[in-house]
Amino acid sequence: MTQTDHPATARTPRRRSRWNATDLGLIAVFAALVAGSALIAAIPVGGLGVPITLQTLAVMLTGLALGPARAFAAVGLYLLLGLAGLPIFSGGRSGLGVLAGPSAGYIIGFLFAATAVGWLAAVVLARTAKRTGKLRPILLFAGAMVSSIVFIHGLGILGMMVNAKLDFSKAFLADLAFYPGDIIKNVLAVSIALALHKAFPDLLLRRVRTADPRP
Amino acid sequence: MSSHGFLLAAYVPGRSLIHRVPLWLKFLLVLGCGMASFLIADWAVSAAVLAMLCGLFLLSGAGPARLLRAVRPVLPVLLAIGAFQWWQLGAPTAARIVLNILVCVVAASILTATTSVQALLDGVASLARPFRRFGADPERFALTIAIMLRSIPFVAGAYMDVRDSARARGLERNPRALVLPVFISTVAFARQTGEALAARGLGEPEDPED
Repeated sequence: MTQTDHPATARTPRRRSRWNATDLGLIAVFAALVAGSALIAAIPVGGLGVPITLQTLAVMLTGLALGPARAFAAVGLYLLLGLAGLPIFSGGRSGLGVLAGPSAGYIIGFLFAATAVGWLAAVVLARTAKRTGKLRPILLFAGAMVSSIVFIHGLGILGMMVNAKLDFSKAFLADLAFYPGDIIKNVLAVSIALALHKAFPDLLLRRVRTADPRP
Repeated sequence: MSSHGFLLAAYVPGRSLIHRVPLWLKFLLVLGCGMASFLIADWAVSAAVLAMLCGLFLLSGAGPARLLRAVRPVLPVLLAIGAFQWWQLGAPTAARIVLNILVCVVAASILTATTSVQALLDGVASLARPFRRFGADPERFALTIAIMLRSIPFVAGAYMDVRDSARARGLERNPRALVLPVFISTVAFARQTGEALAARGLGEPEDPED
C-alpha cells in the first residue's frame, strides 16, 4: 500500500518549479526538524510501546508554519530518507522494515496530517487576517485536532490492524493512550505557530494573499 | 553534535556478493518480503524465510552482532504483540505475525547494511528522474536532500542549547520555553540557507518561462 506513494513523494519537491531557494531551504530544514525531534527523546507508552516523541509536534508545526504544499514536501522528504535507510525514525529505527511494524500507520499518517493541517492553517490565517482575539488560535487548534485524529490516529489504528493483526476495538484502545499527549502537543503547536507567524510575518501569510488574489 | 556519524550507523563496508548486487535488486528483495508477509499463512514458512534472510545477512560479512543490532529496536514491541496474540489467537498465528515482521525488518537491514549512504541517497535522488517530464528537477531534489542532511546536526544542537538556557533560567519544566526557541532559530536558519543558496545562484527554478 505504501510502496506506491514513494515515487510520488520523490516527485513533489520538484513539481512546483515556482519554489525558490528560500522555499527549498524551509522544506529541507523542516524535514531535518522532524528528524531531529524524533531523535531527541522517545518515551515508550501504551500497550504496544509505540514511542511518544516531540515528532508529532514537529509534524503539526510543519503544516501550521509552511502550508499544505511545502509541508507535504518536507514531511515526504523525511519519510523518503527514513525509508531509504537513514536512522531518523523515532528510536533510531530506519528502513523499509518500519512499514512492517505496528507504528507504520502513524508514520504514513504524518504526511497526510501535516498536509491537511497546513491547508486548514492557510485558510484560517487568510480568513482571520483582520480579526484579533481568540478566534484564530481556537480555529487553528480545531484544525490541528481534526487533522491528527483523522490521519494520524486513523491511519495509526489501521496500521496496527494490518501489521499486528489486532481487531478494530483493540487497536482503538491501544491508540487511545496517545490522545492526552496529542492534545497537549497540539495546544503547544498552535501557540508556537502563532509566535512563528508573528516573528516571520511572511512565512505563510503573504503566500496566502498572493496565492489567492481573487475577491 | 556536529558530526555526520549517525548517518554511517548501519553500513558495513565489504566486497561480498550482496554488496555488489545492484540497489534495485535489493530493493526488490525488500519489496518481495513485504508482499510475502501478507501472503504467508504458515509460521513454518515464515521461519524458513527468516532463516534464509539471516543467512544472507551473515553471508555479507556484517556479522551476527550487527544483525542483532538491526533487530533490537523492534524486539520489545514484537514481544508485546507476540504475547498478546498468543493469548488472543493462539501460538501458531502469533508466531506467524511476529516472524513475518522480522522477515521484513531483516530484509530491509540487508539493504542498509550492504549499501553505502551515498549510494542510497543517489538511489533516492534518481527516483525523481522518471518524473522529469512532469517538471521534476533531480538536481534541485538532490540539493534539498543534501541541505536536510546537514541541517539535522543543527537541529539537534539547537535542542541542546535551548535546553541548557532554559535550565539556566529555571524553566526546564516549561515546554514552550524548551521548544519555541528551537523553532524560531530553525526558521531563521532555513531562511539564511535559502538566501545563501540564492546568492550562489543555486536552487532557483531553472526554466523561468512560467
